[in-house]
Amino acid sequence: MSVLVANCPSCGAPVEFKSGQSIVVICEYCRSAIARTDRDLKDLGKVAELVETGSPLDIGLRGKWKDVPFELTGRAQLGHEMGGQWDEWYATFANGWLGWLAEAQGRFYITFQYPIPEGVQVPSFDQLQLGQPVPGLPWPTPLMVAETGRATALGAKGEIPYLLTPGDTYYYADLSGVNKAFGTLDYNESPPLLFLGQQVTLADLGITTTRAPEREAKHIGAAQVSCPQCAGPLELRAPDKTERVTCPNCNSLLDVNQGQLQFLKALQKPWFQPVIPIGTVGDVPEGKMTIIGAMARSVTIEGTQYFWGEYLLYNPQIGFRWLVHSDDQWNYVQAVPPGEVEESTKSVSYRGKRYKIFQDAQARVECVLGEFYWKVEAGEQVRGVDYVAPPYMLSKEVSTVYVSDPKDASKTKRATGEINWSLGTYITVPQVEKAFSVSGLSRSSNVAPNQPYKHWWIYKYWLAFILIALVTGFLTLVATPSTKEVFSQTITLDPLPNEDGTQVFFSQPFELAARGNLEVVGESPVQNTWVYLEGDLINDETGVVQSFPIDISYYQGVEDGESWSEGEQNDSAYMSAMPAGRYVLRLEGQWEKWQQPATVTVKLEQNVIHGLNLLVALIVLSIAPVVMVIYHIRFERRRWSESMFGGGDDSDDGDNDD
Amino acid sequence: MLKALYIIFGVGVISAYTVASMLGWEISGGSRRQLPPDARQNGYRSFHFWHYGLHGGK
Repeated sequence: MSVLVANCPSCGAPVEFKSGQSIVVICEYCRSAIARTDRDLKDLGKVAELVETGSPLDIGLRGKWKDVPFELTGRAQLGHEMGGQWDEWYATFANGWLGWLAEAQGRFYITFQYPIPEGVQVPSFDQLQLGQPVPGLPWPTPLMVAETGRATALGAKGEIPYLLTPGDTYYYADLSGVNKAFGTLDYNESPPLLFLGQQVTLADLGITTTRAPEREAKHIGAAQVSCPQCAGPLELRAPDKTERVTCPNCNSLLDVNQGQLQFLKALQKPWFQPVIPIGTVGDVPEGKMTIIGAMARSVTIEGTQYFWGEYLLYNPQIGFRWLVHSDDQWNYVQAVPPGEVEESTKSVSYRGKRYKIFQDAQARVECVLGEFYWKVEAGEQVRGVDYVAPPYMLSKEVSTVYVSDPKDASKTKRATGEINWSLGTYITVPQVEKAFSVSGLSRSSNVAPNQPYKHWWIYKYWLAFILIALVTGFLTLVATPSTKEVFSQTITLDPLPNEDGTQVFFSQPFELAARGNLEVVGESPVQNTWVYLEGDLINDETGVVQSFPIDISYYQGVEDGESWSEGEQNDSAYMSAMPAGRYVLRLEGQWEKWQQPATVTVKLEQNVIHGLNLLVALIVLSIAPVVMVIYHIRFERRRWSESMFGGGDDSDDGDNDD
Repeated sequence: MLKALYIIFGVGVISAYTVASMLGWEISGGSRRQLPPDARQNGYRSFHFWHYGLHGGK
């Protein structure tokens, strides 16, 4: 189709189809959706005024994707059946492409329509299961169903490339895959329309100039409103995103719709008090985030109910994050695309890291305070599964609700829902106190599921020291002069006068060099007996005496048909280097068969290889790490004692922060 | 704190080992004494400075 300028069939104002691919244009004057047909223009009805969502995008904004320039030419606002809405922007590319840029909760997804390959049977909407892979799609990575639901066309602006009829509903399934892959199956037609693409940032799209400064100022700030129930003042800190808010004055739960508050129900006085007040601004690594809501949740495991608190953080430029407070331990949590997580039986993988299952339970919202971007209320339940790889925790929340078809109330209620994955990062209490400028937060003596073991560093240093010691040992060996024999003699000692007597031998003087260790080796052909020598190395000039023992004993025999032996026919002793000089070796001997002479060969060597010093160094270096290993094992046992899966037998949680 | 202590300790152990290796010092070096001056003057070969009694055996 071509560019067309015509008059609005509803109000007569001029309307222009700038893009040849546009099917519908919204009349700027009367908000009628005008469709062009083969013959004329058709009025599809009036669309609602767009809800201001604080989007940084606008019609007419230009960008570039894969080096192809585009312009945003239309915008449709679609309502989620569980409340809330999202925007779809239509990007007309210079080369004729037509892209869909979806925007939800501060995240952007660009998709293009793809034909479903021949022979590929896409499951019908009723067959879809959350988490189910959808094979055969023309995308390099597998895609799985992350969300199913029903959308309602609420409002629109500009040019729309399909027949948008105000109030029409259609079923859809959002798909997710690795590398930020994203897709949608649009069940408005049969077979469904397929849109594939990926999650992007505005920078990816070459959009640097976002909204006009005056719009920015208007929508980023908080809004002061009054509670419709008690007329008390109420501050909406994320007025563009909030779907639910509780009144701090009368505890009413209020629905937020286009900035209008509607009373839903009176809540009991909240028993849950946030330890960090709502409205507190925190300085987290991603930037400044404001706590806009808080809720208490619980799980019941083996009859015991466990509670924890969750704080919703918001920054218009960053989006939503969570601060989770459980058992006086804290986590900073952000959403991750479901398709990025690969699941297996007891573990999941995310960005190359394996996470072990820790808990699988039904989580329930117990109490809500402040603002939330979805229609939360006490009693809401999701199935929550936690996987840990300290200091990270991946959490899966599967929410399923049963809704009836508004067009056919007699139809059985249909399950719809979504899978949300989030990545929690353990943060210490001092980090929380510093970030949110609070003090006195309680400390826990328990081990959190993803609390990192803080002494991982010792293993690295241990290994480093061991390697350095071994290298030093090797270099010392290389640098040491070769072994030198300084004395060697076979001595025959006369029989002893009695059992307690001794025989003494003095050697001829010999020279010793400085800085060379010494080894004395004594050898005697003993058989089932012993010879003992008390040796002294005497410096003939200074009188310094270095004593050493030589204890030779060797026994052998046959017992029960098996031969045995014990001891050696030689013994040695090592000595530290002596000062250089002239030395005499004194040996005083004693032996068992004292009536007989004893023959002993004695050898003294200098610069001998001896690994005892190195061995002792390695042992001493290992004492602290071994203690830490024991502590680490206990730490992991304490962690996994809180898990319903209990299997923390290995410690592959390699990250550390000291 | 613990990390700093272990680093200091480890560097100390390796330094001590290196120095010991260079000086030929043995951790199992045995005892070292000084011969009394009178023993040296009178000839230590006959001096009863040495060892007494039963010294070894199995």
